[in-house]
Amino acid sequence: MLESRWSKLAGLLLLLVILFLVPVIVGGRPYVLHVGVMVLLNIIMVSSLRTIFLSGQISVAHAAFVGCGAYFAGVLAKQFALAPWITIPAGAIMAMVLGVLLGIPFTRVRAIYFAMVSLFGGIFLVDLIRVARTWTGGGTGLSKIPPLAQSFVGQKVPYYYCTLALTIVCLIILWRIEHSRVGMNWKAIAQSHLVASSVGINEAFYRVLALAVGCFFAGLAGAWYAHFNMTLSPDSYGFLPSIFLVMYMLVGGQKSFAGPIIGAGLLYSIPEIFRRLGTAAPLVLGVVMLIVVYLMPEGLAGLYDQLKGQLLKSREERVTKSAAED
Amino acid sequence: MLLKTRGLSKVFGGLRAVADLDIQVADGQIVGLIGPNGAGKSTVFNLITGVLRPTAGQIIFDGADITNKKAHVTAKLGIGRTFQSAYLFPDFTVLENLVAASFLHPKCNFWEATLRTPGYRRKEAAKLEQAKEILEFVGLEPMQDELAKNLAHGYQKVLGVARALAVKPKLLLLDEPVAGMTAEEIAFSLDVFKKIREQGVAILLIEHNLEFMTLCDRVFVLNFGHKIAEGTPQEVRKDADVCEAFFGTEDD
Repeated sequence: MLESRWSKLAGLLLLLVILFLVPVIVGGRPYVLHVGVMVLLNIIMVSSLRTIFLSGQISVAHAAFVGCGAYFAGVLAKQFALAPWITIPAGAIMAMVLGVLLGIPFTRVRAIYFAMVSLFGGIFLVDLIRVARTWTGGGTGLSKIPPLAQSFVGQKVPYYYCTLALTIVCLIILWRIEHSRVGMNWKAIAQSHLVASSVGINEAFYRVLALAVGCFFAGLAGAWYAHFNMTLSPDSYGFLPSIFLVMYMLVGGQKSFAGPIIGAGLLYSIPEIFRRLGTAAPLVLGVVMLIVVYLMPEGLAGLYDQLKGQLLKSREERVTKSAAED
Repeated sequence: MLLKTRGLSKVFGGLRAVADLDIQVADGQIVGLIGPNGAGKSTVFNLITGVLRPTAGQIIFDGADITNKKAHVTAKLGIGRTFQSAYLFPDFTVLENLVAASFLHPKCNFWEATLRTPGYRRKEAAKLEQAKEILEFVGLEPMQDELAKNLAHGYQKVLGVARALAVKPKLLLLDEPVAGMTAEEIAFSLDVFKKIREQGVAILLIEHNLEFMTLCDRVFVLNFGHKIAEGTPQEVRKDADVCEAFFGTEDD
């Protein structure tokens, strides 16, 4: 128990060192660092999506909340000339408020029905962005958003390190919430809302709380992205991007905290590597997802345990077989 | 009276699942609710605990009107319950099942939990301690690290009762607590129920099994949502209406 904890810590430390050295390893190549920042932001998005799933709520609107954070921050920065240290928290809080407002009426809607509701919620939010043309630029998008800092213009390395720090802080907070009483209540509700409420857990409150936390971090990642990319398009936040986030999570492993990190890390970078696949890229990703869900129901993060379990089982079978032959 | 219902009714569409029902449970009593399948027994439980809202009538618990209170609120007021099926958190261990269920006792507020104050840590440690005590009380402590879904059926049901105890109830509602159990498991559960009563917790239980009713101080018999008899187990057994409901008329 203790040993595995130390080996886990050592692995984590190694990972951190590697992540820290990435700019040195790739020699500061801007394109790779750009992908690196996007991977980190996607890790925040998928981890926050998993927070919502922890409470048993299937959301296929997560990208829309990322978009709310991104657009709110972008509009505040561009049209109202506010500084990033205001716009980024404001974007996160806006996404959280919208998540709570859309979530409250549907606390009695569960499982696949909640997924349907979230689908419409997501479409509604993206349409809102398109309609508010005077501020958001509508379908053509919002451009010339000020950068995180003027000195960062044209550079990727400072962005990479800032985003790495942001990701680490977000993950620590999400980890602590999950491993607190709040996280336990979420998991209890997901397993049985009837049993959970029979022991005094307020299902509606904790479900809305999960939406609040999840949407806050989604909005935060979005707002950060607005100041990183400096251009936004509503197409990045529709139904398909939301489905991609769900896919990253499922492939990485929904049950494990590391799942979204592995899923977003691999699946976001693989299509970047195989860019020349062009329009076929989503198709390849779809096939990958089908295979993973079919063969590894607990995702890549659960693969180790799964293989260990199978190994033990086949060994046991061999032992009982040889015992029977004796 | 600890629990009293007055004119309790529930209509689903055109079906009167519970009709004008008056039942009472006194402090420290074990009270039985029996009746054939579909008599409305589980609906009564769902009405008392606030999972369903009554169409008419009133529920008084511990001197307060709890009609229309939500399920997590009735738990807070001191009503623990088990379910006929899906009575556990299957992916939690046995111990985690109880820790999750000890949400209310001792109570932490939201800020304590988020900031993890020393007070919060102390209370969470107390919950763990309390969970272990309850496991010991029902005799499940050797299995505390097993996943709940891997337990044998009988033990799962006992864990359901333990989980309900973690709410620190004044009244415990048990929905068919021994259904599907082996004779040995039934004997084991009976001991647990007697011990629970010794702690001063009143029990309202649903059973099909007339034999099991000898445990009860008082029995209410339901058929098609109506109360058709009440009294001590001996009185009820002699009642002609009850025999008819359970075994049919002689003409059949």
